[in-house]
Amino acid sequence: MNKFKLDKEPKIDSGFKIPENYFETLSEKIQIQLQEKETKVVPLISKRYKWIMAVAAILVLALMIPFYNKIAPSNTELDDTTLEDYITDQSSINQYDLVSLLEAEDIQNIKVELPIENETIEDHLYSNSNIEQYIIE
Amino acid sequence: MEETDFILKLLDPKTQNEAFKKLLSEYQKPLYNHIRNIVLNHDDADDVLQNTFVKVFQYLKTFNGDSKLFSWIYRIATNEALTFIKNKAKRNGISSESMQSKIVENLAADTYFDFSGIQLKLQKAINELPEKQQLVFKMRYFEEIKYEDMSEILGTSVGALKASYHHAAKKIEIFMTKD
Repeated sequence: MNKFKLDKEPKIDSGFKIPENYFETLSEKIQIQLQEKETKVVPLISKRYKWIMAVAAILVLALMIPFYNKIAPSNTELDDTTLEDYITDQSSINQYDLVSLLEAEDIQNIKVELPIENETIEDHLYSNSNIEQYIIE
Repeated sequence: MEETDFILKLLDPKTQNEAFKKLLSEYQKPLYNHIRNIVLNHDDADDVLQNTFVKVFQYLKTFNGDSKLFSWIYRIATNEALTFIKNKAKRNGISSESMQSKIVENLAADTYFDFSGIQLKLQKAINELPEKQQLVFKMRYFEEIKYEDMSEILGTSVGALKASYHHAAKKIEIFMTKD
């Protein structure tokens, strides 16, 4: 049996055959694949999508404004009557505190012309035994 | 240097397409043969070859010139082919060696294999070898790649590669001598 010697024998071909025109069409196939890869590799949030998100966010906020107004009353100021009632009810505030807060002008305006007859005053003095209080004030 | 210029052309968007076409025409046949030698089947070789070129194109910007462009491209092709075999074997629930044995056994029936006794016998002889030795043998015997280039591609020293080839050749000769 003759020993097989690789370097002595004629070169043996791998035996693989290639389909006709294979290499002619290869370039095109690869270009297509490259284009597909390019379109797949887009930024996670494209510019267009960012715009849509921004507009959507603004719309949501805009729609929320009337809704927010319903929840929170637009007029946060109390009316005068409520305010007066509060002040009179609160026993911790006496008339002296109030007067100290008022301007001189405001005090003048408070002075109400009360036409009280002397008779009424006398009656009041008699009925009310606490004269000293009035003398001190 | 010529290669540096070519790489610059490949990286420049203006000249990229033309440069890549040139790369394709230069490498498609040798790379196809290299890949086919590993995966054995034409359709598989076609898949792997296309994937290789796509990867080459995508990773070109990371190529730092540490090795020759040739070695870098061949390295990608080799890894793609070897990974392909592993995955194919996994999908079939068998080892890579069993997978390759099956394919070699069926080569005679393969449309794209030239059934001439000695070629088939040689493929079977090679298939008996460990994976690394198979690779080294094919690259040296069929593709006639220089040991220096092979070293860059496979990351193994020239000495180790020569020893590997020597062992492979001996085993093949024993196989081929048998009836």
